[in-house]
Amino acid sequence: MNEVWIRRINGLQLFIVGIIILIPIYWMVGSSFKPPADVTAYPPKFIFEPTLANYHDLFSTTPFFRYLLNSIIVAGGSTLLGLALGMPAAFVVSWSRVNWPAVLVLAARMAPGMIFLLPWYMMFREVGLIGSHISMVLAYSVITLPIAIWVLLPFFDQVPRSILEAAQVDGCNTLRVLWRVAIPMVMPGIVVTTILCFVFSWNYFLFALILSNGETKTLIAASFNFIGEGATNWGTLMAAATMIALPPLVLAGLMQRWLVSGLVVGAVKG
Amino acid sequence: MLRFATVAIVIALSAQAHAAEFDWRKHEGETITLLKSNHPWPKAVLAYQDEFEKLTGIKLKLDTYQEQQMRQRLVTVLNSRSNEIDIYMSLPSREGPQFAKAGWYADLAPYLKSAPAEYEAGDLSKALMGAATFDGLVSTIPLNIEGPVMYYRTDVMKECGVDVPDSLEAMVDAAKALKECKPDMVPFSSRGLKPAMPYTYSVFFHNMGGQYVTSGKSTFCSDAGVKALSLYGDLLRDYGPPGVVNNSYTQITALYRAGRSIMSFGSSNEFGPVMEGGARLNDTKIDLLPPGAGGSRPTVIGWGIAISAFSDKKDAAWYFVQWATSPEMQARLALKGLAPPRSNVASTPEYKAWLEEVPLRKEWFDTIKRAAATGNSNIGFPIVANPQSREYIGQAANETMLGEKSAADACKAADVELQRLVDADG
Amino acid sequence: MRRGFLLLCAPAVLFTLVMIAFPFGYGFWMSLQKFDFTGAPQFIGSANYLRLMDDPRFWTGMRVTILLYVISLVSQLIIGTYLAVLLHSSKGLRNLVRTVIISPFIMPPVVVGMTWLVLLDPSIGAANYVLTKVGLPPSEWLASPQWVVPTIAMIDTWQWSPYIALIVLGGLQSLPVSVYEAAQIDGAPRRAVFWRITLPLLMPTIATAAILRSVDLLRFFDIIYITTQGGPGNASATLNIYGFRMGFEFFEFGYASALVITLSTVVLGSVLALTRLRNAVTW
Repeated sequence: MNEVWIRRINGLQLFIVGIIILIPIYWMVGSSFKPPADVTAYPPKFIFEPTLANYHDLFSTTPFFRYLLNSIIVAGGSTLLGLALGMPAAFVVSWSRVNWPAVLVLAARMAPGMIFLLPWYMMFREVGLIGSHISMVLAYSVITLPIAIWVLLPFFDQVPRSILEAAQVDGCNTLRVLWRVAIPMVMPGIVVTTILCFVFSWNYFLFALILSNGETKTLIAASFNFIGEGATNWGTLMAAATMIALPPLVLAGLMQRWLVSGLVVGAVKG
Repeated sequence: MLRFATVAIVIALSAQAHAAEFDWRKHEGETITLLKSNHPWPKAVLAYQDEFEKLTGIKLKLDTYQEQQMRQRLVTVLNSRSNEIDIYMSLPSREGPQFAKAGWYADLAPYLKSAPAEYEAGDLSKALMGAATFDGLVSTIPLNIEGPVMYYRTDVMKECGVDVPDSLEAMVDAAKALKECKPDMVPFSSRGLKPAMPYTYSVFFHNMGGQYVTSGKSTFCSDAGVKALSLYGDLLRDYGPPGVVNNSYTQITALYRAGRSIMSFGSSNEFGPVMEGGARLNDTKIDLLPPGAGGSRPTVIGWGIAISAFSDKKDAAWYFVQWATSPEMQARLALKGLAPPRSNVASTPEYKAWLEEVPLRKEWFDTIKRAAATGNSNIGFPIVANPQSREYIGQAANETMLGEKSAADACKAADVELQRLVDADG
Repeated sequence: MRRGFLLLCAPAVLFTLVMIAFPFGYGFWMSLQKFDFTGAPQFIGSANYLRLMDDPRFWTGMRVTILLYVISLVSQLIIGTYLAVLLHSSKGLRNLVRTVIISPFIMPPVVVGMTWLVLLDPSIGAANYVLTKVGLPPSEWLASPQWVVPTIAMIDTWQWSPYIALIVLGGLQSLPVSVYEAAQIDGAPRRAVFWRITLPLLMPTIATAAILRSVDLLRFFDIIYITTQGGPGNASATLNIYGFRMGFEFFEFGYASALVITLSTVVLGSVLALTRLRNAVTW
């Protein structure tokens, strides 16, 4: 009896928390389907006739799919680079218990993003990479690399040393041990890392605002353009917001089980 | 009569002959990049982008940002002396002295001098051209002409028996009466957001008789200055919309268009968006801000288009500038609601007919013309650090609006910083 | 092994040095100059740092930063832990619950900022409508100098409490069962078990979550950049926002660099201090 009631009350509390979490998201998605006049109507309209007008406006007035492609290239590229650099580093840091390389890559997390803007622009100008996807991928890897190392570290920590040492005795060099033995054992960690890198790279806007140009602009950077001269078109803005939030949300929804366990392992053991 | 016609034909022919000499294809095959904000101007002019590319064979690349982000990117690009951007939009009344001192503008004077006769360089607004010239360097060509204007809901005011105020002081009484009569509506709205509000505040300040700098001293806190600050603060605190300190043109426009504010002090540039949907076309009166102790001293500015000092393709870039600011193009843009910075364009029969078409349009344009005739472009201090001076002006206004400090105290605090900026101005 | 170590670490370390060390060095060098873009930089030694000490806006920024940090961190640690306990006692995470919990912190800050901007608009926002419907006075939210920091803290808490909940949940799940069995035998009431046993055992996990959040909260930028730009007045101008505007809007780039370097030091110092604190509560 007591137990049943406690469970019911818990369920109710969870339900309320869920509603609070979902209201803004619902409002964003809902507004994107409202007729333009209803978006800023007061009192707010909770019931309305859904329309695709805002999406039509979004796709017809902006090169939306080019921005989308740029976002995918930059987020995807920086995820790959972050993993390529971060996997071996996390592996040897875990194995050797020498921590300084992992701490060093965290330095970027301590500084405000603006400190990078002017110097990076000058650097990329020197090597002729201004406005290119490559420069953006490099910049965004500064975000993905620490995530890759720090999320992967505890996964590598869990690999029994005996297995690695046995492989080494068998004549594998370190790289081969990593590739053949360690990586297959931390596959779940790599999935989580990939998603987290992609999402946080996708979400970050400041670098793209300065480093991209008309051709390489990412969705996030372009989203600012909807707050324009004249009345802001809130409906289209919410449609853009929905489209930008969609990929992270879908990824997270599909991979939620892995993601949660990965986050937890990372923080609890770290 | 015949003689007159002959002369006209000869003139027309010679103009054409001249036009034929101008080789639009000289820079065929080059690619230039334009950095633009989402102001109405680029939207209107780029509808004809194909024509430009066909005429010249030049390919135009675009890079669009919101105004603030555009500047942040511009600073990075120009500071590195990068050639990534050839042409950019700039507000000479704001960053003009700064950019000019940094050497970020290519001088457009030689281009103007050698421009063909049909460009009619001399017809570009003298006031705006003057405001865009720094030590002889022509920084930008004006794209439009704009200024803050009052939008009044005449129907509501009539219903409440309130006259359009004829002086700054009378605005308080009008707002008070309107608040009693229509408690659900916003009696007066204007910008409150710190970086945006000096645009509207400056007219209050000047009309009250204020002047920002007098012989090397900040006179932001003269008697007139304190009065203006307290009036602006009182009006918005007591009769403004909720959350006015965060309001810029977007909120003001939306409120007025939706019929929720009665007296609205916004940009003439917002005429299009305000009238969108047509609900406000028949119940609005447009006028300058009422005069104060200092008379009527409206603000008038123009966005300009500049060529980067670091562009490798300045000549091709000029082709775009010349094309986009030509009388022919500005005449076409005028019909889309961009007030033209050329008097000849404003007097073409097409434009006159367009203005006559809707009575309010004519009223709108006459108001801009009146502003242009007597106005100044002093939004903030006439110093290199103009953008920063706007910050302190906005700060004082915010404090007054929120009732955190009296106008005199807020003013005094800002004045210390403003004097520092004036002293640092070389 | 040593060769392998160098070989495998070198790319990451090299990348970090190139991408991060140069900007840091440049920023530090700039912080010693008078530079406003309009002329060559002029070396002025520590003058920018000395000016910071006398700048009332710097101290306002410091106050806003700390206030926002404390309010946000405390509320999300409490709500996050509460949520974790709730999830723990609800027989595992069902997929739907998990997806909902992840959503806020997986969303782009730009999107979060814009959405809350619409919800909290004083004239047209749904938040005020609901408030007035239930008989409460409407709030000016982001436009009120008193409420702007709590409002931004509320948005951040909405976004990040679930993240903390997941971390603390992980900690809960890895607590040794034996301790609870002993408590049960003693017949200790639930509440006492939580305060006396669970919470102390969870402290290291909560501290980890606090460190992770601190790094972001002390550099608070995104949501403010999108919603208030530091206003009204300077009521939400954190050090990071102030530094950004000082550099990119007001062109005092040397001074802005000094500000940003100082802020980085503050962040680094706080993280080191918190790490020590965590070690102190680790069992």
